[in-house]
Amino acid sequence: MKILVLGETSRDIGESLSAISSIEGDRVVALFSTSHDEASRASALGYKVYHLNTRNTEAAYKLLVKVYEAESPGLIVSVSTKNPRDVLSRLAGLLDLPLATNVRKISVGDGKIVYERAVLSERSISLEEADPPAILLVMPRLFKPIAGEGQGSIEELEPSEEPAARILEVKRKELGGARIEEADVVVGVGRGFRRREDLRLAFELAELLGGAVGGSRPIAADLKWLPEDAWIGISGKRISPKLYIAVGISGAPQHMAGVSGSKIIVAINKDKSAPIFRYADYGIVADLYEILPILIRKLKERKGLG
Amino acid sequence: MGDLVVLVKAALNPELVRSSDGDRLDLDSVPLKLSDIDRNAVEEAARLKSILGGKLYSITVLTWGPASLREKDLRLAVQEALAKGVDEAIVVADDSAVPGDQVLTANIIVGAIKSLGLKPDIIIAAEESIDEGTGQIPGRVASKLGFPYVSFVRKIDVSDGKIIVERDLEEVVEVVEAPLPAVVSVTQEINDPRPPTLIQIRRASKKPIRTLKLSDLNVEPVRKRAIRELRIIKEERKGVVIEAESVDKAADRLLEILESEGILK
Ligand SMILES: Cc1cc2nc3c(=O)[nH]c(=O)nc-3n(C[C@H](O)[C@H](O)[C@H](O)COP(=O)(O)OP(=O)(O)OC[C@H]3O[C@@H](n4cnc5c(N)ncnc54)[C@H](O)[C@@H]3O)c2cc1C
Ligand SMILES: Nc1ncnc2c1ncn2[C@@H]1O[C@H](COP(=O)(O)O)[C@@H](O)[C@H]1O
Repeated sequence: MKILVLGETSRDIGESLSAISSIEGDRVVALFSTSHDEASRASALGYKVYHLNTRNTEAAYKLLVKVYEAESPGLIVSVSTKNPRDVLSRLAGLLDLPLATNVRKISVGDGKIVYERAVLSERSISLEEADPPAILLVMPRLFKPIAGEGQGSIEELEPSEEPAARILEVKRKELGGARIEEADVVVGVGRGFRRREDLRLAFELAELLGGAVGGSRPIAADLKWLPEDAWIGISGKRISPKLYIAVGISGAPQHMAGVSGSKIIVAINKDKSAPIFRYADYGIVADLYEILPILIRKLKERKGLG
Repeated sequence: MGDLVVLVKAALNPELVRSSDGDRLDLDSVPLKLSDIDRNAVEEAARLKSILGGKLYSITVLTWGPASLREKDLRLAVQEALAKGVDEAIVVADDSAVPGDQVLTANIIVGAIKSLGLKPDIIIAAEESIDEGTGQIPGRVASKLGFPYVSFVRKIDVSDGKIIVERDLEEVVEVVEAPLPAVVSVTQEINDPRPPTLIQIRRASKKPIRTLKLSDLNVEPVRKRAIRELRIIKEERKGVVIEAESVDKAADRLLEILESEGILK
């Protein structure tokens, strides 16, 4: 079966190629990027690269339709980032192809594409099958990118017409570089904090424990009290520290899915019926404004700092 | 032109997923609710209606059979949309359809828009649903109708016949201009929807809900993928709630635990 891999970076393409490593068949790559360096890195993975040289999702979609017609793949795979999801949902609609996201495992048997994916905000795993051609989007950062094994060719594709939806401006987001994925201890902050200044309690606790601070989606994406790279959950980062302390977080499934790899989960919440207590190892029903200063004082005393 | 369409889904509620038989999941046991970010879509549609005028429709497709068992959940989800300013709801419910096949869902939505003669300026959906979580329906609908599509939108401005939106991507924010009619998918951050008031709920119960079947739309029940098995992800956690006579004692207890777990030295 011929497989078309779409991605915005050579790393993402490497991850998709890794996800399909057990499936036989030719591979071709479509890189959705304006970077020529990225195109040469992608071609170093060893397959032919169609370089969709645009930033615009509508233009990329039109170019991808041409690639699809030229290659007739039985399977299209991408890492599930936002722009590829946009582009592939349009292709799926045009051709009535099945499309699945959050895929964790892919195989082919009896001419069918068989895959496992997370559904219901990652509370459940669905084992499914689809007839080719099908589109699968794999979870980011789940597969280790394959190493390059040769030199593929590059075919440059430029948009032939002006898209109806035009990009006027691109603003880079400010990221904080918190590296919560690598920390041994993460203190997670939620809407239980009333003011941005109060997060200093969490930072102080994290520092005493040698850890980092992350937050729920409303804290990072909506209120912007933390940079977005400190956003924990299915649409943010997945973390697997030795200790995760959730403070003032209710425990929505979309948040908890991002911390399920933690060794120990501690929850601090003033509402004893908060769902988080069902998903924690240790829970304390308390007002964070009361207990955090006490924990901080006691930790300082232990360290001889008090 | 002149219509606004908001796509809302009565989705399986992930908070109420419970295992009945081992770790196997029976979808018929999971209640439905209005998918979280669809609330933001409805709120934004109501705001746009106040700018653009026109009539605001919501379209819901229920393919989970038997649809009759789902009627109450479905009505509640749709009424929430009606309470927040939707004028009329169109519900497609059919027992013959396959659960959640998005090829079919998109065909039904487009079929409903065409057969009811709707002329939408803007079709609004959520970036993703809480059960399927794929975010594919708005893109599918856009390419079937040949409309421009802007996804992951956290801000919409309207000015003479076009929209200027901010697309919220992982590392950048893109400002995009699109002509109307267009399809927009919105993020959770676009607004802060308030729950409907009692008066709004009461008024909603008088608003029309039109129920249609596949045969009304000339849509065939296709089936492009099949579920072989559904399992609940089991979270093995201790679930100990620390009981102590004071917050001070609870803090001591927590530090002892962290010490015995080898986290504090
Ligand atoms: C498709 C989708 C994707 C999503 N992705 C994510 C994601 O990646 N990450 C994420 O986090 N969320 C995500 N969400 C949002 C998620 O559903 C929840 O809305 C969110 O996690 C709630 O954040 P929170 O717990 O901080 O706030 P809330 O739910 O408002 O909880 C605040 C908690 O603080 C407690 N509290 C209040 N005051 C105090 C006090 N003084 N002391 C102690 N406790 C107190 C309250 O009892 C409450 O439990 C997603 C939602 C959807 C629909
Ligand atoms: N069955 C449906 N009926 C109406 N709208 C839907 C349906 N399924 C999905 N949508 C819309 O598309 C969005 C994304 O859904 P999904 O592709 O399932 O993640 C939803 O939040 C709705 O706005």
